[in-house]
Amino acid sequence: MLNAEQDIPDEVPLISKPFTVYTALELLLPTKLNIPGLWNFFLLNDVVGDNFSIRLSLTVFPYNSFDTAGRTEIIELIAMDLSLANNSSSPRPRWRKVAYGGMQPGYDDNHTDESFLEGMVMNASVVKRDMLKVMLDSVSISEYLCIVALVVLVWTCTLTTTIDENSLLFIDVSLLVSGFLILLFTQEMLSLSLLLHYVLNISFFITVLYVLAPIYQTLTRSISSDSIWAVAASLLVLHLFLHDYSESTVKAPGVLKNPALTSCISVNASVVASVFIASRLPSRLHVFGIMLFSLQVFLFAPLVTYCIKKYSFRMHLCFSISLMAMTLSFVYMLHRLLFVVLLSLLVFVNVVCPYWLIRIQEYKFEINGPWDEAKLCFDITD
Amino acid sequence: MIMGDHQKHRILMVSDFFYPNFGGVENHIYYLSQCLLKLGHKVVVATHAYGNRSGVRYMTGGLKVYYVPWRPFVMQNTLPTFYGLLPIIRTILIRERITVLHGHQAFSTFCHEALMHARTMGYKVVFTDHSLYGFADVGSIHMNKVLQFTLADVSQAICVSHTSKENTVLRSGLPPEKVFVVPNAVDTAIFKPAVNRPSGPEIVIVVISRLVYRKGVDLLVEVIPEVCRLHPNVRFIIGGDGPKRVRLEEMREKHSLQDRVEMLGSVQHVQVRSVLISGHIFLNSSLTEAFCIAILEAASCGLLTVSTRVGGVPEVLPDEMVVLAEPDPGDMVHAIQKAISMLPKIDPQVMHNRMRELYNWHDVAKRTEIVYDRALKCSNQNLLERLSRYLFCGAWAGKLFCLVMIVGFLLWQLLELWQPVDDIEEVPDFSLPHNCDEDMLEENPVK
Repeated sequence: MLNAEQDIPDEVPLISKPFTVYTALELLLPTKLNIPGLWNFFLLNDVVGDNFSIRLSLTVFPYNSFDTAGRTEIIELIAMDLSLANNSSSPRPRWRKVAYGGMQPGYDDNHTDESFLEGMVMNASVVKRDMLKVMLDSVSISEYLCIVALVVLVWTCTLTTTIDENSLLFIDVSLLVSGFLILLFTQEMLSLSLLLHYVLNISFFITVLYVLAPIYQTLTRSISSDSIWAVAASLLVLHLFLHDYSESTVKAPGVLKNPALTSCISVNASVVASVFIASRLPSRLHVFGIMLFSLQVFLFAPLVTYCIKKYSFRMHLCFSISLMAMTLSFVYMLHRLLFVVLLSLLVFVNVVCPYWLIRIQEYKFEINGPWDEAKLCFDITD
Repeated sequence: MIMGDHQKHRILMVSDFFYPNFGGVENHIYYLSQCLLKLGHKVVVATHAYGNRSGVRYMTGGLKVYYVPWRPFVMQNTLPTFYGLLPIIRTILIRERITVLHGHQAFSTFCHEALMHARTMGYKVVFTDHSLYGFADVGSIHMNKVLQFTLADVSQAICVSHTSKENTVLRSGLPPEKVFVVPNAVDTAIFKPAVNRPSGPEIVIVVISRLVYRKGVDLLVEVIPEVCRLHPNVRFIIGGDGPKRVRLEEMREKHSLQDRVEMLGSVQHVQVRSVLISGHIFLNSSLTEAFCIAILEAASCGLLTVSTRVGGVPEVLPDEMVVLAEPDPGDMVHAIQKAISMLPKIDPQVMHNRMRELYNWHDVAKRTEIVYDRALKCSNQNLLERLSRYLFCGAWAGKLFCLVMIVGFLLWQLLELWQPVDDIEEVPDFSLPHNCDEDMLEENPVK
């Protein structure tokens, strides 16, 4: 039988029409190749794509069940079907993901195919963090914690008159000068007018503070000291909680962006806390000295540390670590329990929290897709 | 009407959003109800009271509307009370002998409550979601949980576009086979193109939308001056009002475009067509959109549409009727230029006729009818089977949802004792003579 059909090549390129089905026709043979059956088969393969061509590997046919006439009939039938499909609209067109044109013939409205959720993107903008980076980033938090701890230390020493007013003023002046120098070196914009501007502002600020010192001293006389300690402590906690650790609330001149509301609240909380503490001091000079000190630290220390960090990360690290060591040693001298508390807080911030963050990273699950609100690619300036 | 072999349904449409309020959902419910009435079903609408519009009203075609005396709380939404609506919803369901309850819109609390009570009472419920939600912010997370709760036990759900379906499936965890896509439609009889198209060298671009952030007004602020600079013969007409209107007015001042950008303020829906037909191109700059009926209305008026490629918008019109652009000012300007170059080839009447083939409320009603048929075929489940579905909604939320459902069930049982079903009078059905409005119109001139 086979030899009689030498004129049919092994692979018949039947029709190279714009679609491709790789079909093993023997699957169709039991159905005697009636047209609907054939169609069903083709439709199963329809999902392959827009371009498919028929390839019949006649070698795999169970030829025994067909004679020559049968085979030509098969081929004719397929050819007819295909030409039908290409000329007129096919009985069951492809399903399209469109909303227009009413119900798509042959498909229910709840039809779901593999194009469903194809626009979905998972965890597209998730940043993979590594432990060391997070730990280094958290150093700036512990740095600021230490700064606040040092301020509290100075407050306590002043309240217990371990530090007299002259040394307090000396600390103020040295802080002011060193802070100034750091700013000038890191900002790289030394100009005479800017320097003059700074000096003018600071002298104005100091004068006003000095004039207002008697008012601060008597401001909370009618309030009991216990309430003052409690309020100051809670205000400091609020300050630490809302503080903007990534940037500085007080900006260098020329920066347009306004600080967020929370960081403003944070700064205000710290200022109020310093006023409360200052009001418990014995003399005007004490009040002036402590106010100047607190304001310098709370307002400008974030700016200075931010400038250092921007200038060189290594310098920032050295500065922070030395600051931590200094604070810890001072606190150790003052009180053992407080030392333990501060140390465990620093360990918590620098080691435990980063580890925790890395651990919960694996639960991060973001879904994005065409339903998301488009983001504007430019800034809106109201 | 030859719908004899079909089962007749008695449908209660529930949503916070209905006339006299105006918007996409309101329109959808109204047109769907009208077409279902024409198919011979009974349709009743329940919504909350609007101002002094409270009680029962009848609308065109005998559409009965219950304005439940329940005050809106914010953005036309009623205060969520969980069980406050149970008695009145139960009474309406029994009085009107409802078979299917159909709720609309995911942020309508009225709809959520009604769906919950209807499920407690064993009714079949269908839910239509008209909007898209993200997954990131707190508001969306809350809404998605509420939706999950409502849809945990819904018989079938409908979405207005395929994108909306994907979104709903992700948000609610429904199997995709339960969610049908039935789009909105447009009343092509109202939105007809102008008899005489505005001619001359001038090209008018129309924008009609609420002027809010989500509608992409900030994009317009960037796009309009650039288009005006490139094409001296282009003029803009902007209809709509909102908090972002100031931004547009500022832009107009800054670029001295007062004579080329006309701001109409808020446009009544009846006037939308007259605004649309004065233009050539319709510009939609939305940042998110489940379907966008405005595009349909514009296309039906024969306008070429330029739109941002967001949400379900790419599914709404065939490619030759719309120019899509990324939500980026540069790309949108390109799209508008492309649309201007396409304009001479556009015949509004041809476009209108095409729209009549593509969208039809009767088609929407027939497709919705199929969903109702499917919903009625769903098996009845007892409370325990239903509770197990809620339990899968989350570690804590699942138990909370179960508690809410159990309390609802107990309250329902209490109501059954307090006000038995037999005591509630059923409303007699009446059918308006067919096409009575048209008959009256025909008779009147004779008399």
